[in-house]
Amino acid sequence: MTGKIVFNKKLSDKYYYMKIESPEFVKNAKPGQFFMLKTQSFDYLVDPLLRRPFGVCDIEEDCFTILYTLVGKGTYLLSNLQTSTEISFSNPLGNGFSIVKNKNVALVGGGVGIAPLLYLSKALKDNNNSITLYYGGKSIGDIHLLEYFENTCDYIKISTEDGSLGEKALITDIITNFDYDIVYTCGPKPMMKNVVSVFQDKVENIEVSLDERMACGLGACLGCIIYVKEGDNIVQKRCCVEGPVFDGNKVVWEL
Amino acid sequence: MAKNRLEVEICGIKFKNPIITASGTFGYGIEYSRFIDISKLGGISVKGLSLNEVSGNMMPRIIETPAGMLNAIGLQNIGVNRFIEEKLPILKKYDTRIIVNFWGKTIEEYVEVAKILDSVDIDMLEINISCPNIKEGGIAFGTDHKMTEKVVSSVKKNIKNKPLIVKLSPNVTDIKLFAKICEDSGADAISAINTLLGMSIDIETKKPHLSNITGGLSGPAIKPVAVRMVYETYKTVKIPIIGIGGIINYKDVIEFFIAGSTAVQIGTANFVDPEIPIKIINDLKTYLENKNIDKISSLTGSIKIN
Ligand SMILES: Cc1cc2nc3c(=O)[nH]c(=O)nc-3n(C[C@H](O)[C@H](O)[C@H](O)COP(=O)(O)OP(=O)(O)OC[C@H]3O[C@@H](n4cnc5c(N)ncnc54)[C@H](O)[C@@H]3O)c2cc1C
Ligand SMILES: Cc1cc2nc3c(=O)[nH]c(=O)nc-3n(C[C@H](O)[C@H](O)[C@H](O)COP(=O)(O)O)c2cc1C
Ligand code: FES
Repeated sequence: MTGKIVFNKKLSDKYYYMKIESPEFVKNAKPGQFFMLKTQSFDYLVDPLLRRPFGVCDIEEDCFTILYTLVGKGTYLLSNLQTSTEISFSNPLGNGFSIVKNKNVALVGGGVGIAPLLYLSKALKDNNNSITLYYGGKSIGDIHLLEYFENTCDYIKISTEDGSLGEKALITDIITNFDYDIVYTCGPKPMMKNVVSVFQDKVENIEVSLDERMACGLGACLGCIIYVKEGDNIVQKRCCVEGPVFDGNKVVWEL
Repeated sequence: MAKNRLEVEICGIKFKNPIITASGTFGYGIEYSRFIDISKLGGISVKGLSLNEVSGNMMPRIIETPAGMLNAIGLQNIGVNRFIEEKLPILKKYDTRIIVNFWGKTIEEYVEVAKILDSVDIDMLEINISCPNIKEGGIAFGTDHKMTEKVVSSVKKNIKNKPLIVKLSPNVTDIKLFAKICEDSGADAISAINTLLGMSIDIETKKPHLSNITGGLSGPAIKPVAVRMVYETYKTVKIPIIGIGGIINYKDVIEFFIAGSTAVQIGTANFVDPEIPIKIINDLKTYLENKNIDKISSLTGSIKIN
């Protein structure tokens, strides 16, 4: 399907925030889902060829937003798209986070991994949860959209590696309270791995949103395999269909 | 009823249009049924099946390259019997031709899978002797004259009910030789091409991007190679050719027909956008109407040299 770019704002030297109008997309999008996005508007431009996966950052009426960071060719082209440009993307894909009710929850986000936690925090607030956000980055330039999180989260704790905002620490080092019913995390792999080890044995439910290179995003190419424990076995799952959200206690980080 | 300009026939089997989705890029078909009406497709070639379930290569398995991608999936599949039990009954509900792509680690295994498939309700068999991503079987059969002859004739001798398509490897110096061997060994049709053996290295870490070191290159980047190989094959054999490689729009399809194709398969384009095959079918129809061409098959091999 296609939609119109409402804005494509530069937030810092590496981060952009884009809003796209598409009532059709918005109808079914759940927190934690992602979509495959064509990073340019030309129909027959074949480089980059594949669509890129991005998380649903937020939903506002008929629009959805993307928080993205510049990585390579695709995201560079994306950052050049102007307001009103028509852009094409897939339906909302993947499983999404589970939405609990009346619980004490923690969200742990690192860098651009904060993106899917925004829409999640809205849904969790609507369900009367008490929400603590732990948000880490390398530097102040990695911390964005705080004004949105202030509306949904009860507590916000920030850390940066260089100390330019919040505490000078890794985000997992500033977690001292483990009294949560469920923890949701999205960010760089080493961070999520740490989050799981910090909360393991203390919190039963840890949902991690993994990212893996994707060609199709629909379960057909088998290019996005994640390994998880199932009883005594290690089994393959497709990040795009069985994920991107997995039970943190079951993920096999290194094989 | 208005005539269907897109209808084609391969080995006596009618396809409502010449657009078939390529093996390995369309799962078992069912994955895509949520996104497009797969009954509109001429046919589906399902992911390459082997006798037993295969779990494929280690990650990472894909990397994008200019106008293409490299993959080293490693022919991961659920095995022929589970396909027949779990997937085929669902796939049969759709009004499209089913081609089953298959492979084996040994000639005996190729024959065994073919025999199983010969007795189930599918339309055609497509033997893959050209996958570059596995150590045993695959490409080893498709790049050696004697092995090609042996595997194709052994399989052909052991099946009675279905036409056999042989999928050629582009990783040979002279595809004409292999096409001829396949025809002489009993192949009923040829599909060309599979992926080209390629490689990509991370210049920071100096490590290959793929765990398997090398992978198969597909997408628009390989189209000129594929068109050349279809053209050369068409000049060499009498059996029909299904063109594959880098097709992303209707113009590419027409080009493959002119070079000698009777039908085509769409691979990587399914990843770029699952609606591409449907769009191509619609665009082809419009093209034929506008050009007043009665049937697309009249374009097969219509190349003009000089
Ligand atoms: C489920 C999911 C959700 C994501 N959500 C976001 C998001 O909300 N915001 C955001 O900024 N990024 C997100 N990413 C990462 C984003 O997809 C990549 O940063 C982007 O594809 C890079 O493309 P490129 O062309 O700029 O980079 P290139 O390096 O040129 O890309 C080459 C290839 O690598 C793939 N690739 C590169 N980096 C990654 C990565 N980290 N994860 C997956 N594939 C990658 C690309 O898709 C492409 O196929 C997500 C990834 C996944 C899997
Ligand atoms: C991810 C992937 C998996 C593939 N798996 C198979 C397979 O199982 N059997 C096979 O015969 N070809 C397989 N192929 C090859 C395709 O069917 C096709 O021949 C090739 O990709 C070239 O066409 P394209 O450029 O349109 O993708 C695979 C290709 C890709 C990209
Ligand atoms: S991206 Fe193709 S199976 Fe997941």
